Amino acid sequence: MIELRFHEELYDGFAIDEAVKAYESFATTELSRESGAYVVRVSASPKAAEEGIEERVLCAELSNYALGLTIERVREGGST
Amino acid sequence: MSDMAVVLGEGSVRVELDESLYPKDAIYGAAYVFIDRCYVHLDRVGDRRIQVTLKAKKAGADSQAFAGEFQNELLGQAWRRAIVDENRKLIETITTRALAGAAGPPGLDDLLAMDIGEETAFEDPLGIAMSWEEKYKKKGKSAEAKAEDAAPVAPQDEKAS
Repeated sequence: MIELRFHEELYDGFAIDEAVKAYESFATTELSRESGAYVVRVSASPKAAEEGIEERVLCAELSNYALGLTIERVREGGST
Repeated sequence: MSDMAVVLGEGSVRVELDESLYPKDAIYGAAYVFIDRCYVHLDRVGDRRIQVTLKAKKAGADSQAFAGEFQNELLGQAWRRAIVDENRKLIETITTRALAGAAGPPGLDDLLAMDIGEETAFEDPLGIAMSWEEKYKKKGKSAEAKAEDAAPVAPQDEKAS
């Protein structure tokens, strides 16, 4: 299990939710909010392991997805 | 403390920036450029200080080159934002004029939709249709003129003789 921390001032909560949804078929996730950060605990699913996807890479991709969506939402005048 | 700190790792780089020098939007812009080549993570490491971590997706990437490229991109983004802010008013004025011009004069449909009836057609609340003399004539003079008009005119035959 890998824990990802996204600062509330830099990441959009909606973007993190969307990122988690996008990768839900490859990972089991647990979301929470702790001291100004969105915390996502990620565990790669057996399907990911079967396809040879490392948990570390999966987390990095999820994090990138969340950042990309956050930036797009900020540009559209969304939030953060 | 320096405005920017760079820590190079193996295939990764950590850049710490001052948000008052590089606005958050500029940092987002620069991060977005790298998102296809690197795993990018942002974190707040202090008051008005943001840490950007870039980790190459492909093995064997030059992290020092990434650091330099990121700093260049950051500067470019910040500068672009400054230009946009400086010219915002001008852009807004030109856009407003362009939109107003594109709307053009009222068309036939607009004229037909106007409320012009027997009562409203000749309304002149500002007195635009009034002649200059009518609008600015002096009250005393107008009374004299009326008296002159009322006085009988002598027959022309008598004047000739």
